[in-house]
This record gives sequence, C-alpha cells and structure tokens, in this order.
Amino acid sequence: MSAPFFKFGLFGAEFSLVMAFAIGIGFGFFLERAGFGSARKLTAQFYFKDLAVFKVMFTAIVTALLGLFYLSWAGVVDLSLVYFGPTWLLPQIAGGLMLGVGFVIGGYCPGTSMVALATGKVDAVFFVLGVTAGIFVFGEAYPAIQGLVNATPMGEITLPQLFGLRYGVVVFLVVLMALAGFWGAGAWERRLARRAGEV
Amino acid sequence: MRYFSQLSLPGKLALFAFALGLVAVFGDPYGGGAVTLHPQELAVLVQKEVDHVSVERLADWIIQKKSDYRLIDLRDAGSYATYHIPGAENVQLTGLTDAALARNEKIVLYSDGGIHSAQAWFLLKAKGYDAAYILRGGLDDWKDQVLYPVLAANATPVETAAFQRKKEVSAFFGGTPRLGSAPGVTAAAAPLPEPALPKVQAPAAPTASAAAPKKKKEGC
Repeated sequence: MSAPFFKFGLFGAEFSLVMAFAIGIGFGFFLERAGFGSARKLTAQFYFKDLAVFKVMFTAIVTALLGLFYLSWAGVVDLSLVYFGPTWLLPQIAGGLMLGVGFVIGGYCPGTSMVALATGKVDAVFFVLGVTAGIFVFGEAYPAIQGLVNATPMGEITLPQLFGLRYGVVVFLVVLMALAGFWGAGAWERRLARRAGEV
Repeated sequence: MRYFSQLSLPGKLALFAFALGLVAVFGDPYGGGAVTLHPQELAVLVQKEVDHVSVERLADWIIQKKSDYRLIDLRDAGSYATYHIPGAENVQLTGLTDAALARNEKIVLYSDGGIHSAQAWFLLKAKGYDAAYILRGGLDDWKDQVLYPVLAANATPVETAAFQRKKEVSAFFGGTPRLGSAPGVTAAAAPLPEPALPKVQAPAAPTASAAAPKKKKEGC
C-alpha cells in the first residue's frame, strides 16, 4: 500500500474532506501552540525581534522534505503523484510581495488569521473580513487581470529540474541552508538578549 | 558519543537532520526505474476514470496557455503533419518509452479513437510514469466536440446557451460549428460530411525529437 491514499482510491472525495478537516485542525493547533495566534509574535519576525516564525517554518520544511524524501525512497509514497502548485514566476512574485505587505500591516497570514479568529482575537475578525473581501475583489477583477495571473507559466517545475541537480543534492543543500539559518537565528537572538540585558 | 549526549535537544535534532540530508545525496525518490505495478491500483484508476481528460478540458487548457502538461500524438507522422491538436508532440508507440518524458510530468495521450492511447497508457504505467492521462474519445471526439460541434435543431435553450461557448472554442481552434438540419433527427444519426480539417498553423507546434531532451515549453 502506498500513498497518496486519495489518488490510489483508498478513500473517496467525501472522506478526503473529513481528512482535510482533521489535518487542518491539527495544523491550526500547532500554529497556535507555536504562538502564531498572536499578531505581535508574527510581526516581530519582520522586525527581527523574534525569529520563532522563521525557525518553526524552516523546521516544518526540513521535516516534510526529509520525511517525503525518505518515504518515497522507501517506496511508501509515490512522489510523482503528490500535488504541488505549478509555477507562474511573475504573478507569484507579485502575489508574494502583496501577501508579505499584508502580513506586516495586518499582523497575520491567512492560516494564522484563522487560528487567531478561533482563539477569539478581534483584530483577526477584521483581518479575515479583509481576506474575504480580497478574494471577492480578485474574483470580480479576474477577467481584467487574467493576463497577469497567467503570465510566465513554468509548469510544475522543481528545484532539481531547474538546476539539473540530483534530487538528494537539493535535499542536502536545503538542509544545510536551514541549519545555517537556525545557527544564525540563534546567534542573533543571543545578541538581542545581551543587548536587552545591557539596557 | 559523550559529545552527542552533551548536545542540547535542538543540537541533536540538527545533527540528525544533517545526517539524513547527507545520506539523501545518494538516494533517489523516484525509485531508480524499478517499478512495482499493483493490478488493483491500476484497476481502481481505470474504473474511476481519473486517468481521463475530456476534449473540452484540454481545449480550455490550451486556451489558458497552461504548460503543466505534455500532449502526445500517437498517430503516424503523416497524420500528424495533416492535423494535430495545437501543442501536441508526435511520438509513436514504439518510441514512447524512449521519448524525453519525465516521470512526474502530466502526460496526455491521444490517438484517433482511444485504443492506442489506452495501450500507451499501460506502457507508461509499466515504466513508472504515473501522471499519464488519456484524451477521452481521442481525435475523433476532438473533431466532434471542439472543432465541429453540432447544435441539434431541436436543442433546448440550455443547450443553445452552452453552444455559444462551444462556438467560440471552435473558432479559436479554426473549426466551424454546425447546425443540425432536420428537426427530430439527432445530430449523431444524421449523416454529416466529413469537414475538411483546418490547416495546422505553420510552423507546427514544437515537436520533441526523440533524441534531444526537451525542456518545458515555456519559462526558464
């Protein structure tokens, strides 16, 4: 038996929604436990006062990366059937910048805003209303911005394909990058703590 | 070992991640070519028709300039030269497993009807190409539904409304919509002259010569 279970027909569309709900609740729970239901904690990342967001996200990336790699190497997961979004370079850069600006101004990203909403934060109510309005505006404006949204399509391209490297080499490089990031974040936080001690 | 036990928990985890990353260099997540076929999994795929792509959907992909798939024309070179769906690459069944296709690419296969594409689908599955799809009805359906859609003379308003969209799609691909003539006669039953196929735009869509590995059509 191998994964992805849904694509091998182990369960149907309805049950996949139940699974999605369960995974979503789990995702939200761990975001909350990491402190990401707080806009202060999240925005502190952008002012480099608290690097928890960076560390948690990169831990998740490395865990998923190594987990998927080894599971598919062992033949338990069929990696070619795992969905990942196709790349549209320009629109995704533009969208990423917009999301980042919204993140700094609003204090949440879409996922964490739901977490904050679930824990009863008032600002999250307004943030989610804003997200909903944004989705509505995008939907209505889609005919006008269709050209931009579908510009520079690169298909489902992966880093190994893009750079012509072995899959495992890219895995190793990403792990190295993450470890260097953790080390740098730790050094920076110790420096912040020293500075706070001096004041 | 003593040094290891002195490390903090994050330090130990970091060392663990480093080791896993280092070993990963020698690994291959796609199994290195050895493929285990599970008849039951194949049966489920076939039964649920998840391996099908309808001609309407393919037409939408082409109109939207989607590039996340490879369209493979399995007919002979002569038929391919006469007409092929825009963006299609001509690959014969015998050359299929040598063609420059990646195992995680979405591959849409078509032939005149559906038999060759279905057989090619099994070939690709056996070679570990997991995202292979069959164009439902093949080029026959492409002609009937996309190039030369027919509006029955006794069509309901809903069908007429849907036909407007079909007309636009047909025009995009250089086809001509047809109107069923005799009322009461279904379009399928009425003998229709085989319409001349629109001339394929020159130069023909990028073809993958089996020798040169081909990059994705767009980007990079």
